[in-house]
Amino acid sequence: MDTLLLARLQFATTTSIHFLFVAVTLGLVTLLVGLQTTWALTGDPKWERLTRFWGQLYVINYVLGIASGIVMEFQFGLNWSGLSRYVGNVFGAPLAIETLVAFFLESTFLGMWIFGWQRLRRGVHLALLWGVALTAYASAFWIMVANAWLQHPVGYRVDDGVAHLTDIGALLTNPTLGMALGHVIAASLLTGGMLMASVSAWHLIRRTADVALHRTALRIGLVTAALSVSLVQGFGFAQFGPVGELQPTKFDTGPTADARIAEWTTRFGPGDYTPPALSNVGLGFMILIGFTLGCVWLLLPLLWRDLVIRLRFPLWLVLLALPLPFVAVILGWLAREVGRQPWAAYGLLPTDQAVSRVDPGLMLASLIGFSLLLGALAVTNWTLLARHAARGAVDPALGRPPGTPDDDRSRPVPALA
Amino acid sequence: MPLLWYALLGFFFAGYLVLAGYDYGVGLLLARRDTPAAHRARLTALGPFFLGNEVWLVAAVGILFGAFPTLEGELLSGHYPAVAGALVGVILVTAGVQLRSRPTGPAARRGGDRVIVAGSALAAFGWGALLAGLLQGLPIDATGHVTGQTHLATPFVAATGLALLTLAAAHGATFLTLRLPAADAPATARLARRLLVGALAAVATATALGLLSDRVRAATRQPLPAVLLVVALVGALLAARAALRRGRPGVALVATGAALALPVALVGVARWPAVLVSTVDPAATVTVTDAAASGPTLQLLGWLLPPLLPALLGFQAMCWWVFRGRTDGRAPVYW
Ligand code: HDD
Ligand code: HEM
Ligand code: HEM
Repeated sequence: MDTLLLARLQFATTTSIHFLFVAVTLGLVTLLVGLQTTWALTGDPKWERLTRFWGQLYVINYVLGIASGIVMEFQFGLNWSGLSRYVGNVFGAPLAIETLVAFFLESTFLGMWIFGWQRLRRGVHLALLWGVALTAYASAFWIMVANAWLQHPVGYRVDDGVAHLTDIGALLTNPTLGMALGHVIAASLLTGGMLMASVSAWHLIRRTADVALHRTALRIGLVTAALSVSLVQGFGFAQFGPVGELQPTKFDTGPTADARIAEWTTRFGPGDYTPPALSNVGLGFMILIGFTLGCVWLLLPLLWRDLVIRLRFPLWLVLLALPLPFVAVILGWLAREVGRQPWAAYGLLPTDQAVSRVDPGLMLASLIGFSLLLGALAVTNWTLLARHAARGAVDPALGRPPGTPDDDRSRPVPALA
Repeated sequence: MPLLWYALLGFFFAGYLVLAGYDYGVGLLLARRDTPAAHRARLTALGPFFLGNEVWLVAAVGILFGAFPTLEGELLSGHYPAVAGALVGVILVTAGVQLRSRPTGPAARRGGDRVIVAGSALAAFGWGALLAGLLQGLPIDATGHVTGQTHLATPFVAATGLALLTLAAAHGATFLTLRLPAADAPATARLARRLLVGALAAVATATALGLLSDRVRAATRQPLPAVLLVVALVGALLAARAALRRGRPGVALVATGAALALPVALVGVARWPAVLVSTVDPAATVTVTDAAASGPTLQLLGWLLPPLLPALLGFQAMCWWVFRGRTDGRAPVYW
């Protein structure tokens, strides 16, 4: 086993785990902002209960976002020291901005939001959630700026074999950024919306307590999913333009790709400059999932007179569709990242020069260790999410008035459970 | 410009050790066999600060990557086992604290506590080992790369890791003395004072091993400030003990906090102007200016600082202010 392959596997595993959770974060926080703002405006306790229930799930999900995110950040230095050495001057800037502008504030705000329910004034508490949401979007923006630069390096100059930043504006207007960012955000909203709809559908199928509450959440989730799936499709197809033009070797093998490969062969010496076949397979499945999920639009007319709930089978469809967005986001990233191979920065830095000179044994230990750790945490996290989702909105720990014992057995049992 | 960023990097990493240091200290104290209520009280004391503490590490690594890209690669991959160990620790604590109370069964919660204890120990030890590794230099060859990791296996590295662990434990107990209900203060203060003695012993051992190691002596370019900083560290620990005896936990916490920040200052100052000292090829030693990102990158990041830094520190201060004081029956419980 060589270090390069192991480092790539480790990156693929950890980012994929990271993305499964942050997609939910990004989607749910948007919905939460809506819920809590509505509560602030109407004062109706129903919205408070919805905020607490979904906030609880959001916060549990957030744990893995942080844990895997920290691994991501360190991985660049641990496993990809060549990346920081040759292109760090350019690629490091958006990541540094991301950590300072987004993560630092996001965590500070979230800590205050979790513990501030009874302590802070309503307005301040709501503003904190808005802060969490805005910083989460900022983090998605800056990480995508960094990623877009790896897909299509711009705004730099190479001196002494090291890339230097010349134009930050070019990074922000990178043609591989705009549509991809829109696609990622829409995909996250779709994931969040589907999650909300599915959990509510489960409660409605089981006829647990709080029918009115879950009915509202189901409607919000379905409408969000429908609107965002159209955006996903739009931004998705819009990506083919810039990708086909700027990364000719990614999805096809036409004359442009051949010309580019010939150019690289003269510049970097002979080698295999085509990405592994794996990248294209996933793309087709993702698009298929995109069209399948497009069918949520067919459910919207059934919201009339609660037909979705009374017919029951639509609820089952929504529940069964829950894994689809998660599968699709991973396939999409595989297409984007594997399709970029063998380049760490497309046409500029080959992946085998980006990897650290670490002993393969150590890299293998690190791969196994972090995969097992994050994998175990992910499973624990999902189990807890499922349990808390199933427990319903009777009395989430989040926002519980102080002085109430946190022992579960003292709590009222849902009447219809 | 590089100096400013180097100082800022030190500031954020030291801030991380000070703030997350008491998280890990409190985490280590969960190893004591106490009632579930005592464990719950300790986690409630961390409460609102926990998320805002760990993120200083994220910011420090962001600055490392943005402002010192060359340094980042060799620094982290050159100390792979220490960094990866610390990282596993950080993850275990992050997940452990936040998830520990989500299951309701007592057995699951005890399991969660064990995860937190193990994570806290790993994190504190790993960062100590990294600091020691920096102080004793690495085998950087003429191509600028580090090969192998055996250079980390020295008594000095182990002793420094242990010293940081004991410092964190004492810091955590001091934090609890300040934060738990007043009725618990005398008992935790006694515990903190005992732990401070342990920390003093560990720091003394690490210092002695450092003075005996030729690698550390060779890597040290500024011996006088280095020695002064060690003296200051010992002074801070003694001051903390005295303050605890006089019932001034606030002062004591500032002192133990300083004790966690001083090792970072020591590592930064002792080798100045070098940031990575090569033990095999003097020409391969990396200085602050070599390691810094090029002008335009630093300039761009420099534009961000004046608006950003006050906001970052301001919101952290808001969090401390809103949730200041001792916890009591009205304290929000979540972790
Ligand atoms: C819910 C998830 C989801 C769904 C249903 C879709 N996608 Fe997607 N897709 C993603 C989630 C995603 C993603 C994970 O967010 C990616 C990875 C990188 C990116 O920019 O978005 C992605 C990447 C990605 C790429 C690769 C861009 C590149 O290589 O730079 C293309 C061309 C598309 N998508 C196109 C589509 C089309 C035409 C879809 C269906 C109609 C579609 N996607 C549905
Ligand atoms: C969160 C969603 C992401 C997923 C699931 C993902 C997935 C992957 C995968 C599968 C690989 C391995 C490709 C291969 O070796 O064949 C990879 C490599 C890599 N990705 Fe991503 N990626 C994501 C986002 C990002 C972002 C936002 C960045 C940049 C900021 C990034 C930077 C890299 C780097 C540096 C590598 C290693 C070098 C390489 O193999 O090309 N990734 N990623
Ligand atoms: C498209 C890909 C990515 C998106 C949209 C994204 C988004 C996010 C978001 C929204 C968070 C907030 C925490 C949470 O949601 O649970 C987060 C956390 C984090 N991400 Fe990512 N991320 C991506 C890829 C990456 C990559 C490649 C890195 C590596 C540099 C990274 C580093 C981090 C770090 C360090 C955190 C933890 C921040 C904290 O402690 O609060 N992310 N990410």
